[in-house]
Amino acid sequence: MAQRVQDKKPKRNKTAQAWMDENVAEQKIRHRAIVKEMEELEPKRKKWIRDFLKTIQTRGFNVDGDLLRKIPKAEIPKEPKRKHRVVW
Amino acid sequence: MARPHIEPYVELDAPFKKFDLNGFKGSHYKVLSLDTDTGACTLKVRFDGGFKRKAGMSYSDMEFFVLNGGVKVGNEVWGEGHYAFVPAGQHLGAMSVPKGAEALVMFNDSEPSFVESDRNHQLALTESFNSFNAYNDAPWGPGNLVSPSVATGVGIKILHYDVLTQAITFLYYMSPEFQQNNISYHDCAEESYHIWGASWMMQFGDLPTGGYFWRPPYIDHGAFKCKLGCIAVGRTDSKLHNYFHFNPWANPDENKMRAAAHLYRQRPQLYEWAASDGHNHPHGPPDFEHQHYHDDAQVRHLHNHAPVGVKEGTQKAPKKKSRR
Repeated sequence: MAQRVQDKKPKRNKTAQAWMDENVAEQKIRHRAIVKEMEELEPKRKKWIRDFLKTIQTRGFNVDGDLLRKIPKAEIPKEPKRKHRVVW
Repeated sequence: MARPHIEPYVELDAPFKKFDLNGFKGSHYKVLSLDTDTGACTLKVRFDGGFKRKAGMSYSDMEFFVLNGGVKVGNEVWGEGHYAFVPAGQHLGAMSVPKGAEALVMFNDSEPSFVESDRNHQLALTESFNSFNAYNDAPWGPGNLVSPSVATGVGIKILHYDVLTQAITFLYYMSPEFQQNNISYHDCAEESYHIWGASWMMQFGDLPTGGYFWRPPYIDHGAFKCKLGCIAVGRTDSKLHNYFHFNPWANPDENKMRAAAHLYRQRPQLYEWAASDGHNHPHGPPDFEHQHYHDDAQVRHLHNHAPVGVKEGTQKAPKKKSRR
């Protein structure tokens, strides 16, 4: 079995564990703030989505690189009833 | 869990914190993202003028990108735009920072670690060490590295490429008035830090200078616009494939199923074999070319397995035992 340097790392010491605990806790708070900020953006996002769905019917959808395809109205997806999330 | 979805995060207004871990004392840092289990992380680090550190090594692969200022490392001077990939166990010369510097510092396998040493660890994969100025010493290439590709107006410089996982680190730009009217997702996690300039995505709005994201696999992003241009550092943790579509409300589970449907259609034999009974290899099937790939730290990380030699779920500090 091949061994790597990573396999030889000593167990995390108390200082490093405290560093982890502190920063994991702060990251949780930061993540919650991002989720809230992104939820508050939803009214603007609804307009951006309307514009996007219009653009792909008129200018076109980028299939690959600069290759564009105009999407027929019948193919435009309908908004589902579930809550729209962008951060997971 | 691995790193959470951090997007968008603009770090410029967040304060730096004192960095009190061994090898970093005297510097300051901000966490951009952090793996809550392994400690793998992306940091923005500020080295004030006068910072010094002796020669040594880390137990994690480390990537270093100088945002501004200069860092003397051994006999090299790492100026603005300098990139280094330092494999775990690779000895780095003494570090000194005469006038101050800021850098993105990425530890890919575990929390930041440093031990003084004047030589490489005997297991260090030193052939993957790389150190060069990304602004001056690497050419721009077109953005169409993969197919389907981004639209014209994106340029890329590859800084690091992992041959086993096809993870890449790259510098990229979007030109002024760039636009790409599709929604994208990938099988890989993706990370970016905006060195300068702003871009826009339909889900997240503007990502300005100092803007950052760590995005887990299968999460929608785009359409894309860039009004005045931007330059950024990007990374993936494995092979990047662009799955483009135009459903603004698709969720990661639906995207994952769609990706599997691609596999079903385009590599039917592989799909059938992988999905059939008796082929459930939790640590990956044998590969006669890369016989020990199961032990590779990056491969194990992708499958949420602890490094070889470390029992799963035992990475917390042990309780202190009495010496008697």
